[in-house]
Amino acid sequence: MGKVIVVTSGKGGVGKTTSTANLGTALALLGKTVVVVDADVGLRNLDIVMGLESRIVYTSMDVIDKQCELSKALVKDRRVDGLTLLAASQKNNKDDIQPEQMKAICDKLRSEHDFVLIDSPAGIERGFSNASAGADEAIVVTTPDVSAIRDADRIIGLLQHAGIEPINLVLNRFSPELVGNGSMMDQEDVLDILNIDLIGIVPEDTGVITSTNRGIPLVYEDASPGSQAYMRIARRLTGQRIPIPDLEHKGLLTNIVNWFRNR
Amino acid sequence: MNISLRQLFGRKPKSSSIAKQRLKLVITQDRLDVDDRFMTRLHHELAEVLAKYFEFSVNSVSMSLKQEGNSYVLVADIPYKKFHDGNARQ
Ligand SMILES: Nc1ncnc2c1ncn2[C@@H]1O[C@H](COP(=O)(O)OP(=O)(O)O)[C@@H](O)[C@H]1O
Ligand SMILES: [Mg+2]
Repeated sequence: MGKVIVVTSGKGGVGKTTSTANLGTALALLGKTVVVVDADVGLRNLDIVMGLESRIVYTSMDVIDKQCELSKALVKDRRVDGLTLLAASQKNNKDDIQPEQMKAICDKLRSEHDFVLIDSPAGIERGFSNASAGADEAIVVTTPDVSAIRDADRIIGLLQHAGIEPINLVLNRFSPELVGNGSMMDQEDVLDILNIDLIGIVPEDTGVITSTNRGIPLVYEDASPGSQAYMRIARRLTGQRIPIPDLEHKGLLTNIVNWFRNR
Repeated sequence: MNISLRQLFGRKPKSSSIAKQRLKLVITQDRLDVDDRFMTRLHHELAEVLAKYFEFSVNSVSMSLKQEGNSYVLVADIPYKKFHDGNARQ
């Protein structure tokens, strides 16, 4: 029995699709069976970010319309074992799917995989309720800026109301340099406001852009800081206890103290 | 043989040009409102017909729709091993 985790944010463009693609791939690289589900009906992107855009035959809409079996609609990622994609229909819109139908798909996928990651569309309307309908847990992605954090807070409220727990935060596009000179809020500032658990910090990394251009998730490039951040988050999702490294150059001593503190 | 100079000198194509190429394909499909199943079906049926004339591996065939100016072009890339001798197979 696996876990269904919705990756959501409220605001668009903060890194939901990037995070879903990279965490899905990372979990598969760790040996888990994973389905990544695009819940952005009408504006799908997870396929192209993962480089699977030319391989889609069926979508979740076809499964709902009983045009094909769920297992047949899953596009196998040939680069790693155990990873598949369920694409969204590009020709329909969010109102063509009911939350109960998404829930039924999630229930089926949960029974056959270790992880089901759902890439949520932006907004708090139907797209969000469809994406979160079948979720056990949530990952809220935010960047350290005022509008993203405000929207994240709104989404956290809705998730809590729906009884989805735990809700973990990914702080994306973090820049130690900007934090250092006082122009960006640090993780403590953000957590102080949002009051949920932090599961990881992903730095601003140009590798995200080039890997998206190629359709090869960043986690295949071991050396990049973004890749390492996503791999650590994936390990935490599997239950490993890995401290969140201090990206603020506070000095070796503070890092050691934090490492012990976070264990 | 189909080796470009770029491959010969071991340089990877720039990721921005890969992005542009991939986008052109999906956007053409989006604009034409092409069904996801359409391309797959076309792929299979064309391969079936072509197999009567050529020897090739179905997995090596790539097919896509491209926009060129005002018109759309179906581009099929089919690396074949040889023609079948004589007439087409029945
Ligand atoms: N850590 C990062 N470093 C640099 N660019 C990033 C990072 N995360 C996301 N991006 C870029 O931000 C943009 C939006 O990301 P995306 O994942 O599509 O967001 P969403 O799905 O929330 O709308 C993309 O261009 C992506 O490449
Ligand atoms: Mg997205």
